[in-house]
Amino acid sequence: MTTEIQVIIIVLSGLGILYIGNLVRVRRLELKYALIWFLVGVLVIIFAANKHWLQSLSNFLGIELPINMLFFAGFIFVLMIIFTQTIVISNLTRRVKRLTQEVGILNKRIDDIIAAGTPSGEGVMLEKSSNKNEEEKGE
Amino acid sequence: MKDKLVIIPAFNEAGCIVNTVNDIIENAPEFDYVVINDCSRDDTYKLCVEHGFNVVNLPINSGIGAAVQTGYLYAKRYGYKYAIQVDGDGQHDAAFLGTMARYMEEHGTGMLIGSRYIEKQGFQSSGLRRFGIKYFTVLIKILTGKRITDPTSGMRMVGRDIIEYFAEEYPKDYPEPETAVTIVKRGWTVDEIPVVMKERQAGTSSISPKRSVYYMIKVSLACVMAAMSV
Repeated sequence: MTTEIQVIIIVLSGLGILYIGNLVRVRRLELKYALIWFLVGVLVIIFAANKHWLQSLSNFLGIELPINMLFFAGFIFVLMIIFTQTIVISNLTRRVKRLTQEVGILNKRIDDIIAAGTPSGEGVMLEKSSNKNEEEKGE
Repeated sequence: MKDKLVIIPAFNEAGCIVNTVNDIIENAPEFDYVVINDCSRDDTYKLCVEHGFNVVNLPINSGIGAAVQTGYLYAKRYGYKYAIQVDGDGQHDAAFLGTMARYMEEHGTGMLIGSRYIEKQGFQSSGLRRFGIKYFTVLIKILTGKRITDPTSGMRMVGRDIIEYFAEEYPKDYPEPETAVTIVKRGWTVDEIPVVMKERQAGTSSISPKRSVYYMIKVSLACVMAAMSV
């Protein structure tokens, strides 16, 4: 690893960390999910700054080329992230489902109340509901 | 308000939803009903509103399991003692609803399934599908020791305890065999009585040939998981 590439990696990682930090700042990214990416950035910088660390870690694990060590670590890491996201998605699916059901039942209650309360209630309900369906189609 | 509810999940059933609901209103007078429109892309919802049907409209398409569960949630909230789900496609004959309700009230059954294969009358499904259904009968027998002749029947009535349970826990798709296992495993009683089903009046089955492989694998796994998770 030449000094130039070391500098490039460190600068890119630094920029990456700043970019992610900014996303958190403007609330595009949850801090909870950003932490892991901060960690990656910091680790990359540490290993780029101390190139003999990667070498000694590879030697310790019996991996001949340090670059293979890097691929291996990267692969494990990506698998971990994807798996975590599968869990997050499962939770979200469950929550969206329950919200959808509650919204459906709530809408019905409101429609019933409107229909019972005002003579023109039925018309109001029809109009609102058909608008909603069109939005859904549009997406 | 009556104490029995018919849950009619409907997704793109404009062709037969009106007949299905009218059949229930005429032939099952001791039941209230609720149509759960799972964000159909056709006129299902419009037709329900035009006819003044009692309909809950899901704002996002959520799948058959979520639609049926909405019905159970509705039954829970409005205090129904019994709930039965039927398919929105007109395969189920409303005349059997009363029979099933009387059986439930007499025997205090937890879940009552309307089975096509006890008296083997009416529409019996195609050969390959019958084989699939047989397979689930055997699988459920192995997992629970209980023989259910028609584990994929969508016509099933449950009492208040199971209404409350289903309102919280219900599979997202292809729920029938899996919930049968869960109910037996949790110690509720499951009975079957003979019903006659018709061929679907319009629309297409949710289980196309392409999906049937996925269906077999997914539902088998779900049954095994359900058997282990109690």
